[in-house]
Amino acid sequence: MRQKTRRAFMRDLGLSAAATPFVWGLAARGSEATAPRRQRLVILFSPNGVVPWNFWPKEVGEQFTLPEILTPLQPFQKRVLTLHGICNRVRGDGDSHMRGMSCLLTGIELFPGNIQGGSDTPAGWASGISIDHEIGSFLQGREETKTRFASLEFGVVVPPRADPWTRMVYAGPNKPIAPIDDPYQMLRKLYGRLQDQASLSAILDDVQEDLRKVRDVVSAADRRVLEENETFVRELELELRAASQDQTQRQAPELDGDVKNVNDNIPTLSRMQLDLLVNSFVNDFTRVATVQYTNSVGQARMRWLGIDEAHHELSHNADSDTASQEKLTRINQWFCQQLAYLLEKLASTPEPGGEGTLLDNTVVVWTNELGKGNSHTLDNIPFVLAGNGLGFRMGRSLKYDKVPHNRLWLAVAHAFGHRLETFGKPELCGGGPLHDLT
Amino acid sequence: MIGYLLRERRSGGDCVVVRAAKCALIAAATAAFSGGSWAGEPDVTGKELYERHCVRCHGARGEGVPDKCADPLGGSQSLADLVQIVDETMPEDDPSQCTGEDARKVAQYIFESFYAPEAEERTRQARIELSRLTVRQYHNAVADLVGRFLRDGTLDERRGLRAEYFSGRGFQRDKRAIERVDGVVDFEFGEGSPNSAVIAPGEFSARWQGSVIADSTGDYEFSIQTENGARLWVNDLQQPLIDAWVQSGTDDDHRATIRLLGGRVYPLRLEFSRSKEKTASIHLRWQPPRDALAVIPRRHLVPDSFPPVFVVNTDFPPDDSSAGYERGTTISKSWDQAKTYAAVEIANKVVANIASLAGCKDDAPDRKERLVDFCHRFAQRAFRRPLSDEQKQFFVERHFEGEEELNVAVKNAVLLVLLSPRFLYLGIAGNQVDDYDIASRISFALWDSLPDSALLQAAERGELRTPDAVANQARRMLADPRARSKVRYFLHHWLNIAHVDDLSKDNTQFPGFDGAVAADLRESLDLFLDHIVWSDRADFRELLLADYWFVNRRLASFYGAEPPEDDGFVRVPRDSRQHAGLLTHPYLMARYAYHKTSSPIHRGVFIVRGQLGRFLKPPPEAVTPLDEGFNPDLTTRQRVALQTKPAACQTCHAMINPLGFAFEHFDAVGRVRTDEKKSPIDASGSYTTASGSVVTFAGARDLAEFLAASEETHRCFVGQLFHHVVKQPAAAFGKDELDHLTAAFVASEFNVQDLLVEIAKTTALQANDQESTIESQ
Repeated sequence: MRQKTRRAFMRDLGLSAAATPFVWGLAARGSEATAPRRQRLVILFSPNGVVPWNFWPKEVGEQFTLPEILTPLQPFQKRVLTLHGICNRVRGDGDSHMRGMSCLLTGIELFPGNIQGGSDTPAGWASGISIDHEIGSFLQGREETKTRFASLEFGVVVPPRADPWTRMVYAGPNKPIAPIDDPYQMLRKLYGRLQDQASLSAILDDVQEDLRKVRDVVSAADRRVLEENETFVRELELELRAASQDQTQRQAPELDGDVKNVNDNIPTLSRMQLDLLVNSFVNDFTRVATVQYTNSVGQARMRWLGIDEAHHELSHNADSDTASQEKLTRINQWFCQQLAYLLEKLASTPEPGGEGTLLDNTVVVWTNELGKGNSHTLDNIPFVLAGNGLGFRMGRSLKYDKVPHNRLWLAVAHAFGHRLETFGKPELCGGGPLHDLT
Repeated sequence: MIGYLLRERRSGGDCVVVRAAKCALIAAATAAFSGGSWAGEPDVTGKELYERHCVRCHGARGEGVPDKCADPLGGSQSLADLVQIVDETMPEDDPSQCTGEDARKVAQYIFESFYAPEAEERTRQARIELSRLTVRQYHNAVADLVGRFLRDGTLDERRGLRAEYFSGRGFQRDKRAIERVDGVVDFEFGEGSPNSAVIAPGEFSARWQGSVIADSTGDYEFSIQTENGARLWVNDLQQPLIDAWVQSGTDDDHRATIRLLGGRVYPLRLEFSRSKEKTASIHLRWQPPRDALAVIPRRHLVPDSFPPVFVVNTDFPPDDSSAGYERGTTISKSWDQAKTYAAVEIANKVVANIASLAGCKDDAPDRKERLVDFCHRFAQRAFRRPLSDEQKQFFVERHFEGEEELNVAVKNAVLLVLLSPRFLYLGIAGNQVDDYDIASRISFALWDSLPDSALLQAAERGELRTPDAVANQARRMLADPRARSKVRYFLHHWLNIAHVDDLSKDNTQFPGFDGAVAADLRESLDLFLDHIVWSDRADFRELLLADYWFVNRRLASFYGAEPPEDDGFVRVPRDSRQHAGLLTHPYLMARYAYHKTSSPIHRGVFIVRGQLGRFLKPPPEAVTPLDEGFNPDLTTRQRVALQTKPAACQTCHAMINPLGFAFEHFDAVGRVRTDEKKSPIDASGSYTTASGSVVTFAGARDLAEFLAASEETHRCFVGQLFHHVVKQPAAAFGKDELDHLTAAFVASEFNVQDLLVEIAKTTALQANDQESTIESQ
């Protein structure tokens, strides 16, 4: 039993990804027979605001035209919901980028701290839990929705530093969670134990052969311990074999060889991460995930679009600078393509053990820390929802009148059956879950 | 034959059947020689039947006969099973010859005489047993196995951390204003700066670098307390253990836990930054296992950055300590799982760090050759001996053939090595003890770890074959921190303080005796032990008789001694009429005491078992100690005497109590007292020696003088040290091994270091079959 290349071995071993629990406790946990339909949430983040006139549909209601940035969503228009007029009304310490980022999913103020932004007073971390972790831990609290991970945090080229601009996910007050932006690290998190099992399987015959050789040179009285050792190794081998025979059709994704974690590989890294995300849904490793592209004030240089300038710098340029606005439009359109890629994968993957496709049971929320880059406004935060996982009436363009975004997160929580009274800052929850969604 | 058949039922295996057939022929010949059937002799005993027909193959005591049935008769089958097996299968050529009553008699004789585990234990001759690495040995061996691929660090006398202070927050070299060594990191800068002459008040930053020394093995909680920003790295200079660079809200105590091995030095870096906060402060603290949270003391900080230590995080089941010392002569399913998980953990970390371990970049043109070479060296070090060509192929080279992913090949090779009995067990060489076995015995005895390069090179040159050569190596190795760590490990077990988790006492009776005092006491005792054991004379008697101890300010104030000038510990004298070395050290007095009162019984048992090495049966029934309130007028001594008055108690307590009473001058926190319950303390006691003479004493000092001069104490100490060091029964090295060592101990003026060397000398060269020691070859 020799080991194959990583790719071949992942192909083979992905098969047992959702096998029954084994010594390593790898498999998904929910019970399929009794479970209600699976509901899933993905929050996809891109930074630095959008170009509003190329982003928001002009019309309200079911008849609307997708503006330039949103054109990649055309195949899914009936499953898309755009929400204009949702505002991040959290104030307090920290500049707009910091609050835009760290209050986006938490809906609550930052603590005072030592991080000085471009303006305003210095601040620290968010003082509350983020909505993905809130829902994740709610699902973990019920036997029928429990999964291996409460949530997964994906990143794409997130700078290696921890501050309120680079963290949007919080496990609680002062508990920022770093996204994993290395797909290989994510693969190890999801499948590392399977790789370990494969390595062990590959050498256990050798271990036994070695034990037999040694057994023959020790004294008769000492042989007993080594024989016992052999028995244990044989038992382990049988356990491993049982685990790998209990296969399903679920596969781990194949990752290309060494893709370096650098700016120019963003398109490849994005695909790898989204593939892993869909895969972890297929295997029901989790029901909640976030994907963070760079960071607030992110400086991606999208050379693959022929744009050499850094994203955040471009976003400061004036509305009248049409060349810059054109580039920003294309940058945001590229992010929208990533969303479309994810939707396409979800829509083409059958729901395991259920009906329809993954997209029927998933909602993807695409959002941003700012409404608009050059004004740094926290009004009209981009919120585009896609997929049918939460029972919202999709295929519409809605406009609200300066509604705090806390109410959107309340609505999302309620759609999961998590009937929170308030989320984040209670004062911003007046009126309860956002209306008109269902 | 029985042994084989029983074993076959348990585990199977081809070679067993082949060898069983060989035995069957001999059994048939024996039966023929004896002239016919066994049946029909009503008066014959099982023993006679056994001696007549079984002994030639199985040996007089079932120990087995080489080239016939070498396996000893022993196991866990019931008597009924044994009867059935003899009835149906013995003798193998014609099982009908021994059936019914005869089979029962033979089986019963075998069972009662040597087969059953208890019988085996009774009659077994002491021998050097095949042993797996103990948990401690495993951890140390792995740390040294991987660590040797990194550069070495040398510990000298310098202490404290290298400190740099910068004006501004960026650690810019040209803004470095102060360079110095800080003994501890425990600063309240207030609104000012570290030195207003060179750094203006306001934004500044600082960096401390060096290493931290861990004394004991376990989970260490590190804490940085600051209202500013800070980051701490421990043992891994890439990934911070604590990242509190963002100061947020009122959080000013940031903690994280990391597992460290005792007796090793870990790289550490701390960065600090003050921005617009009103004030600045930073305190670097830790809570070692079984200790209190405190600023990391200067003596634990080193200004040099040591290489990281490879610490296995997989939990192992505790070792068998039923013989009085941890040993690895048994294995279990949970041990097997732990060693498998641990191997996976290590293999993954090796692969993750392969570039630095193998000294080979990912894109090196000769990467494959270098990785193969790395794996060869890894296997050699793990196995403590050179590899044959066949072994190189088996453990390493095969895994690289046709493998595109070199890391997968490395992982498989490393896993196979770590799961090999050649790594996991000591003494697999059978009876042929060679130079490399000798090297392993020395290093596992003194370090609980692999031989270092110097020792392996001496083995390679055949320079370890004489007692003097072994002694020279042992002396060299005693200077290593690993030897110090092992000796401390032994001393803690000897004093039965290895696992003290709580020393708390009654608050109203002993105000001020808190966790910090308890932690200081432990430190004080450790300093005392190290001071004596690692002095030139290393005199065991001084451990029992010294009239000094070590105190810091807190202990000085609690126990009433001259307070030292600085924060550290200093040696101060004690009244030699009252005190006696470690015996009256407050840590032990408090350890062997109740919440409110002293415990003469615990103190007495500590002396009887731990110092005199006398055997005590467990109490015949569980007895709740009489409550203090039972009769408030009774002294502790009176209460204990009353409770243990029944004759059933007195068989043991006649020995225990009078030894424990000698410590009655010391209360539950080890402070000296002259009276209790308004009665003057009676600390008189007595002891009847193993040879029958009666000794009396007036208190702890008297008792200590007796113990320090008693042959019982000397022999007990030698025996305990031997067993903790060697982890094999002393008798396996000769019936008079302990006599010999005790005589040498006395002759060396009770030098503990000399005793360690002598133990290494007499055990390293012992053949496994104990017939002969290795002669100069």
